Amino acid sequence: MMGPGLDTVLLGPLLVEFPFEATYVRSIISVSLYVSLIAVALSTLVSVPVAVLVGLSDFRGKGVLTSVINTGMGFPSVVVGLAVLFLVSNQGPLGALDLVFTKEAMVLSQFVLATPPVTAISLAAVTGVDRGVRDAAHALGGTRVDTALVVVKQARYGVATAVLAGFGRAISEVGSVLIVGGNIAGADGVSKTRTLTTAIQLEARQGRYGTAMVLGAVLVGLVLVVNAVVVRLGGRGVGG
Amino acid sequence: MFRLEGVSVSSGAETVLADVSVAVGTGEVLAVIGPSGVGKTTLLDTLALSTRPDEGVVRFDGTAAWAAGRGTRLGVRRRLGMVFQEANLFDASVRRNVEYGLRVRQSWRERVGGAIRGRLLSNRLVGWLRRLRATVGGDPTAPDGGSAGRSTAVEEALGVVGMADAADRHTASLSGGEAQRVAFARALAYDPDLLLLDEPTSDLDPRNTAVIEEAVATARDSGIGVVLATHDMHQAERVADRVAVLLGNGVVERGPTAQVFEDPAEERTRKFVAGELVY
Repeated sequence: MMGPGLDTVLLGPLLVEFPFEATYVRSIISVSLYVSLIAVALSTLVSVPVAVLVGLSDFRGKGVLTSVINTGMGFPSVVVGLAVLFLVSNQGPLGALDLVFTKEAMVLSQFVLATPPVTAISLAAVTGVDRGVRDAAHALGGTRVDTALVVVKQARYGVATAVLAGFGRAISEVGSVLIVGGNIAGADGVSKTRTLTTAIQLEARQGRYGTAMVLGAVLVGLVLVVNAVVVRLGGRGVGG
Repeated sequence: MFRLEGVSVSSGAETVLADVSVAVGTGEVLAVIGPSGVGKTTLLDTLALSTRPDEGVVRFDGTAAWAAGRGTRLGVRRRLGMVFQEANLFDASVRRNVEYGLRVRQSWRERVGGAIRGRLLSNRLVGWLRRLRATVGGDPTAPDGGSAGRSTAVEEALGVVGMADAADRHTASLSGGEAQRVAFARALAYDPDLLLLDEPTSDLDPRNTAVIEEAVATARDSGIGVVLATHDMHQAERVADRVAVLLGNGVVERGPTAQVFEDPAEERTRKFVAGELVY
């Protein structure tokens, strides 16, 4: 009786089980980056102005609002996923947009998850800027917008940290993207809504530990690269 | 002419300034002297339109600033320069700090255009352009493009405080005295009509103090009005044309420097000047 050839023995697992592995992994990375980067970019656009507004203003209830923002950092991701699924489901307020199991719904849930840490850490950075710097900007003829820009530039390391924290939360998150995205890959092996985290979870559950490990290494590598880029941008000398 | 007329300021239940009136014209130095905590900083903040008085009028060339619109107040604020007890420099180069007042006075279009040009013109490209300029017989150290006027103003202002060669240093590398001199240049760079100095030399050594005092004289000679809040009476005597004595939340005496120090009309002034009045 003839046994399998040596090449089949060596490459079999790859060729038979993952005939489209490169495409598969590339598409998963692409979906992960697309969802996380867009969610964090949108979150930054909202969070930083909110942090500046709250940080530079004195109003009744500021302490309560700050507490609410800080509490948001601890939102359970599966609850956020459930809430977003309700929002985009057929019966939900955004049902008409037909977003269930789409990348856009995943962006929405990641945005909700990333916004509290980005806002809270930016707020801490903004309020940590020396009051004297604000006074100087005002005394030198700056408008409120000029003063706010100076504060953001002075707080840039903290804001960069906030963006990183938001990105870290978004790209490493499993629960909500699994619920609203559905962890879908097509028959052609191209990910529709499968991210690195949901793929790792799936591959590990199915016993394909090698692939899970590779995806895990890619995830860590991506986080390191984005860290380096954001720190580089945040650290650039643009103050004043 | 810049003046406070019957100005009162309170902080919560505490009265900080009560019925204070002072005036300063162009090309003169008014020293506001008084012990710590008497309200000198609040007086400067009120003149700077950073603090709104509870009563009284802040008037600039006849215009009541707080009765005018926000745009008018911004216009008034942009005629003022202020130096604080702390340098309060931005975390950036000396040049970026000193040109800040000039930048905020530009239109947004100019500012965005300048920022884009600044980003696109990398250091390597700027170096290459300078070498090219030197090759064709030009001055390789001349500033580039539309920032020429701003660069000149920055260098002139830094020159007044003896920091002309420090434009490209980062503020983190400056000593306390150098930082305060840069802060002075920053307030001078956009040629204000009135300089407000809040104990600018209280933390400085004699050499840096002398540089700042010379810069005050230069500013006065160029027609800038100066209000100097200080508890250093010797300094007030050295640099001021007129003195206002602030005691107990109000101005108890004002007049030419020599008169206030040598022949004060008020007993409290005499005691304060003699160091006999302890707060």
